[in-house]
Amino acid sequence: MQINEELVTQITHAILAQMGQDAEPSSKPVPSMAGHSRINDEKTSYAGYPKAKQGTDPKEVVIGVGAAFQREIKKTICGIPLDDVLKNIKAGIEEEGMVARVVKVLDTSDVCFMALEAAKLSGSGFGIGIQSKGTTVIHQKDLYPLSNLELFPQAPLMTLETYRKIGQNAAKYVKGEQVVPIPCENDPMCRPKFQVKAALMHIAETEQLDPELGIIEWEEE
Amino acid sequence: MSYIAGVDIGNSTTEVCLAEIPAGGSLRFLASASCPTTGTKGTAANVHGIQSALKQAVGKAGISMNDLALIRINEAAPVIGDTAMETLTETIITDSSMIGHNPSTPAGAGQAVGEILHIQNLSNAAAGTPYIIAVPKEYSYEETAALINDAADRLKITGIILQADEAVLVENRLRQKIPIIDEVSRIEKIPDEVLAAIEVALPGQSVRMLSNPYGIATLLGLSPEETRAVTPIAKSLIGKRSAVVLKTPGGNIHENVLPAGEIYLQADQSSTINLDEGADKIMQAVTNAGEIYDISGQPNTNVGNMLSRIKKGMSELDQSQNADIRITDILAVDTLAPVLISGALAGETCLEKAVGIAAMVKTQKLPMQEIARILQEELNTEVTVAGVEAVMASLGAFTTPGTKLPLVILDMGGGSTDAAVITDGGHVSITHQAGAGELVSMLIETELGLGDRHMAEQIKKYPLAKVESLFHLRMENGQMSFVDESIDPRFYGRVVLLAENGLIRIEQDIPMEKIAQVRREAKRKVFVTNAVRALKTVAPGHDLKNLSNVVLVGGSAEDFEIPEMLMEEFTNYRIVCGRGNIRGSEGPRNAVATGLVLSYLGERR
Repeated sequence: MQINEELVTQITHAILAQMGQDAEPSSKPVPSMAGHSRINDEKTSYAGYPKAKQGTDPKEVVIGVGAAFQREIKKTICGIPLDDVLKNIKAGIEEEGMVARVVKVLDTSDVCFMALEAAKLSGSGFGIGIQSKGTTVIHQKDLYPLSNLELFPQAPLMTLETYRKIGQNAAKYVKGEQVVPIPCENDPMCRPKFQVKAALMHIAETEQLDPELGIIEWEEE
Repeated sequence: MSYIAGVDIGNSTTEVCLAEIPAGGSLRFLASASCPTTGTKGTAANVHGIQSALKQAVGKAGISMNDLALIRINEAAPVIGDTAMETLTETIITDSSMIGHNPSTPAGAGQAVGEILHIQNLSNAAAGTPYIIAVPKEYSYEETAALINDAADRLKITGIILQADEAVLVENRLRQKIPIIDEVSRIEKIPDEVLAAIEVALPGQSVRMLSNPYGIATLLGLSPEETRAVTPIAKSLIGKRSAVVLKTPGGNIHENVLPAGEIYLQADQSSTINLDEGADKIMQAVTNAGEIYDISGQPNTNVGNMLSRIKKGMSELDQSQNADIRITDILAVDTLAPVLISGALAGETCLEKAVGIAAMVKTQKLPMQEIARILQEELNTEVTVAGVEAVMASLGAFTTPGTKLPLVILDMGGGSTDAAVITDGGHVSITHQAGAGELVSMLIETELGLGDRHMAEQIKKYPLAKVESLFHLRMENGQMSFVDESIDPRFYGRVVLLAENGLIRIEQDIPMEKIAQVRREAKRKVFVTNAVRALKTVAPGHDLKNLSNVVLVGGSAEDFEIPEMLMEEFTNYRIVCGRGNIRGSEGPRNAVATGLVLSYLGERR
């Protein structure tokens, strides 16, 4: 087949014409950030919530959730309700005979630091950090922030099954048992596909931070 | 001034000893080196391994290959060890009559008997009948608990079997505490309305009622004939933390004895032994046989195929016409292999009886001259084939400080265990016996169900530890060891091997004590049996009491526990036994290579 400049121009025109047609009927008002400096104008105040206590129960696993968790953000990046995520992690911990406690971390939105802070509050020294978009880390209190026990970075590929197993593994660390590697999907296209959404969710979470309050007990239903 | 090298080609390693002989002066050792043997021992493929070992040695000594005046290679004994394994029994479940497995977290404790009722039929249940409820994973723990709590007033529910891993979750939500077993993957296979018994053991214990035939009989109300039939069920539930036994009319478990075949010994005292009589009987027959000319197996049986496979492998080495290849020794070892039970419901395994066999294959002569010729052409150095391996090994071993004549050596390698005695008068008698390091690896691999020979080799070689936290590990001898830098989380809670360059993780979830026990037993079964056997053959009057010094050499003598095992064993015979230290510096390795260099001096005089 011969390709000349004229043909290319023709095709381009045809496509542009078609796109123009498609765009017109669906030209609903697109939500715009113009004029806004925040994603959620309102900032939730957690003043009055009890400050998270240092745990003493050696069977305890503390789950540190993100600032926007179950409030501004109700679903993970792939649409799993955060209520179910939390429920499954707690079920995993319970099945292994350990005890779960949930705190909300308001002084950082970095998942590794969140997990480490949760671990430091935990009576067993083991904690889980979950960002509202679904990224999860299992951490131990005397490790460096970035050298965690287990990191599940591809939030869009997580399922409730995975969250259950994360809970179980965290509890197994407490018991000093051999953990089972959690099968995870891996998709190289995941990052480009979800990058924008991930960034927006992270901003929405970060702008809810309230470092003055630090970490609070979180028993949202 | 001239440089000479001794080269020892072994079943698994090629070793080199390099020495310098100044004109008129006395010999000085320069360097030693070792490389894995390339190809099967005694074939032209060995040349590559020899060359790289030589390169290593001349490199260490700081001379060049061209400086070598003479290379002496050993007259390798034409014996090759090979190993094989056969299972002798198999367990088959028909009509799903048993589930016994180790879910990590069952709930409740105790036994329960009842009719199996799938949860979807809960509404059809009759009051008064005891039930065990089977729940597929579609029901969440909340639903399950709610349904059972509801029904509890109406029905008599004695136990629960779950498909999902949710036993503790369900138990925490039940008003009534009953034993619950989970992770039964093929729950749909459990028939409705049959009588079943379940048992969950107390923490730290294993099931007691269901691993006892009379226990099963008590719970399920069996007749004496039926009780006899459930014995294999009880046997396969020993050591489990939870179990289910179903009473199905046609259901049963068979323990089949596989037709393992007979072994024919062609010897001074020819005999025939059936493989399923066990290793002890086989070894007894081998001992009583006198000199063995050949060993073969019943055609078209497991053992027959195994032995002919070993011979066939050897015949590919010796290409000469009417090659005379014979198996002159075997070592049989009883073992247990975890085998998946056919018809199982939750991936249960059963320890089946098996026998591991190492065979010693003898051929006329290995083509060592051929190796020497190729080496001579490639290196442009004179290469000679010198001396019988065992004699050379004795010479080398004699350089161990503290030895004297008469000297006995026990050369424990990868494929064979050899022994030699040099008397005061310089008379040498030798023997080659089947079974050494490779058989140990095979036993470890099978008994632990690893399916990975490399891992088994490593378990054989390195001591164990358990990573108890990221900052400390417990060694297999109970000692605690703390580390400054945190251990990689990949090792958390795992049993690891302490290798020279870091930790090696064992993937399987097997307790450290069990691994250590299997490893020690495997070494004991092979090396202690073989050492006693080999030394009896060479000892004057075939009596171990006539020996006084035994020097252990060869790769397996480097092991961290085999020499101690042998030492303990030989103390009973008042034999001084210890790991050799060739030239006072090489440890138990390099005996043959050193002997080759030393023998050159002897020849020159």
